[in-house]
Amino acid sequence: MTSFLLLMKISWRNLWRNPRGTLLTALALGLGLALLLISLGLLDGGHEQTIADGVRFGPGHVVIQAKGYQDTGSQELLIAARVVSTIDEFLQTGPMKRVLLGASPRLLATGLLSSAANSAGVTIIGVIPRDERAVSLIPQRMLAGAYLSDDKPSGVVIGAELAHKLELKTGSKVVLMTQAIRPPGTQAKEATGGQMQSTLLRVNGIFRTGIEAVDAGVIQLPLPVAQTLLGVPDNQVTQIALFLRQEGESLMIARSLRKQLADDPVEVLTWRESMPMLAQILGLDHAFNYIMNGVVLAMVGLGILNTILMRVLERRYEFGVCKALGLRPGQLAAMIVGESLALTAISLGLGLALGLSVEHYFASTGLDLRRLFGSGLPPALVFDPILYSRLSLARIVWSVCIVFVMATVIAFYPAFKAARTELPDALKVL
Amino acid sequence: MIQSAVELNDVMKTYRTGPIEVPALRGVSLRIVPGEFVATAGPSGSGKTTLLNIIGGLDRADAGEVWVAGQNLQLLSSSELARVRLERIGFVFQTYNLLPVLTALENAEFTLLLQGVPARIRREKVQKLFLEIGLAGLEDRRPAELSGGQQQRVAVARAMVTEPALILADEPTANLDSATAIELLDVMERLNRATGTTFIFSTHDPQVMDRARRLIRLRDGQVASDEARDGQGTLAPAKQDMV
Repeated sequence: MTSFLLLMKISWRNLWRNPRGTLLTALALGLGLALLLISLGLLDGGHEQTIADGVRFGPGHVVIQAKGYQDTGSQELLIAARVVSTIDEFLQTGPMKRVLLGASPRLLATGLLSSAANSAGVTIIGVIPRDERAVSLIPQRMLAGAYLSDDKPSGVVIGAELAHKLELKTGSKVVLMTQAIRPPGTQAKEATGGQMQSTLLRVNGIFRTGIEAVDAGVIQLPLPVAQTLLGVPDNQVTQIALFLRQEGESLMIARSLRKQLADDPVEVLTWRESMPMLAQILGLDHAFNYIMNGVVLAMVGLGILNTILMRVLERRYEFGVCKALGLRPGQLAAMIVGESLALTAISLGLGLALGLSVEHYFASTGLDLRRLFGSGLPPALVFDPILYSRLSLARIVWSVCIVFVMATVIAFYPAFKAARTELPDALKVL
Repeated sequence: MIQSAVELNDVMKTYRTGPIEVPALRGVSLRIVPGEFVATAGPSGSGKTTLLNIIGGLDRADAGEVWVAGQNLQLLSSSELARVRLERIGFVFQTYNLLPVLTALENAEFTLLLQGVPARIRREKVQKLFLEIGLAGLEDRRPAELSGGQQQRVAVARAMVTEPALILADEPTANLDSATAIELLDVMERLNRATGTTFIFSTHDPQVMDRARRLIRLRDGQVASDEARDGQGTLAPAKQDMV
């Protein structure tokens, strides 16, 4: 124990034989950690925003829809009114209300929207404006006019690209044409199933989400209007989109709903299942980021290895003396590892201070991507041009552990070299 | 017969650099009894340092027997040699070789620390030794803050503090001026007489040769002469039981 303390004392003092060199080396390793923290914070923040935006422009954190809808997209697949009531009752229970931010029933179909100037194929989304307003981003992205309201049954909101193509503005009249839905099991002669239907609507508002497919091809109208137009009886809908307070609870809620609705012909999907492309893009982005961080850390690590190795090689004579005096190879190696650990501790302190400071800035003020990309923002990942960093404690601990383990492993080679100091060669005076 | 402090029997050592072989020791035999104050002298390349390295367990002979304090070093493993060096042998090097990051006191107690001696006893021993060899008051100075002579005294203290059976000093006065060298020799001779520790020097320095009570001259890796001082201080061939 005494000799261990001596070795640690020597290690610590050796570190300060060349304070400038030590601080520069510590700074290099600290910068590696800081970069890791900053990039992970921006990555997680970006992904969190992307997921949040993705689910709010799309089908929510969890979506309940008729079985088979995800694969076929058939607008004839509807959730029966009885099941809608069951789901509604379940969503009103205490445990669900605690995690649920909102739920929006939607009726989805395709149709043709025509103006005096032009016409375009569109995705029709029938919504309850009050519910949709609570969960979707479209009501918040109105460029002109206003979003739908429950007391204006004939309004429609359209994307900016669509408005441009059809030369529409708020208040313009449009005709929406679609084929009435024929639910499975009903005959063509029954009700309006399969027949072409049309209705005259007035543009209530124009939105811009930044997602071209949405801005050019999606329209929203009140659910009763859509149900009437599509000939949907009772209170049937295509899907119920659920929005949660925490994205991390998606899987748990989906499992709970699957169990609850096991006997009903519905499928419950998390956003990863309903938007597999988005999940894959985020996964790829994660992998790419890990590779980049690995490269940065490897470069920093090699720099550290070089520095420690040089420090060891230039003290070969000193190690020879220690060995001649009776210091065992393992003790010599411990001395070098101790030196490296002390250096790592300083580096981690510097890296944490620097990394968390910058991360805090990006978490509160954000990184405005418009400054980096101008108007050519990459649309795939980020809907909001201001990226906010989000760094969890687990990420910080993980990053510190990675750098610590890397620095410790790196120290083994110089320690091994020191332990292998050959006597009496090391004692030769040059 | 008195037990040997050091006994070498027909020790051979050859250094090899690629195809080139340089014989350093060619059949050296000698016996040194406890308490002797011995200098080995000879021109460069005569084998002085090699001889000290082999006696100190820093290097191994190619052939022959090397006995130090009753142990045949040729039969010991590296870690056993390290233990012998730590417990039985003290070293004083030409260039002082103090650890620059430790104070004079910490350098002197370095080997005691490695032996696990408690702090109070370490401090007592070192301070007593520092008082004896004129280093009192310099305990907290780093080597860079000491003169060459003071550094070499700290090195002597480091070698002596564990009370080893044998101290090996490789040209200890080579980097000192003559006045400082004399002071250092005084210290070592006094310690030798007071403690009975065996001292073996390698040296070019006539002052060291003059002070040695036995002078072994080496030439081309062999013992050229082995003389001991008589009562009047005159060198005469060493007695048979010493050789």
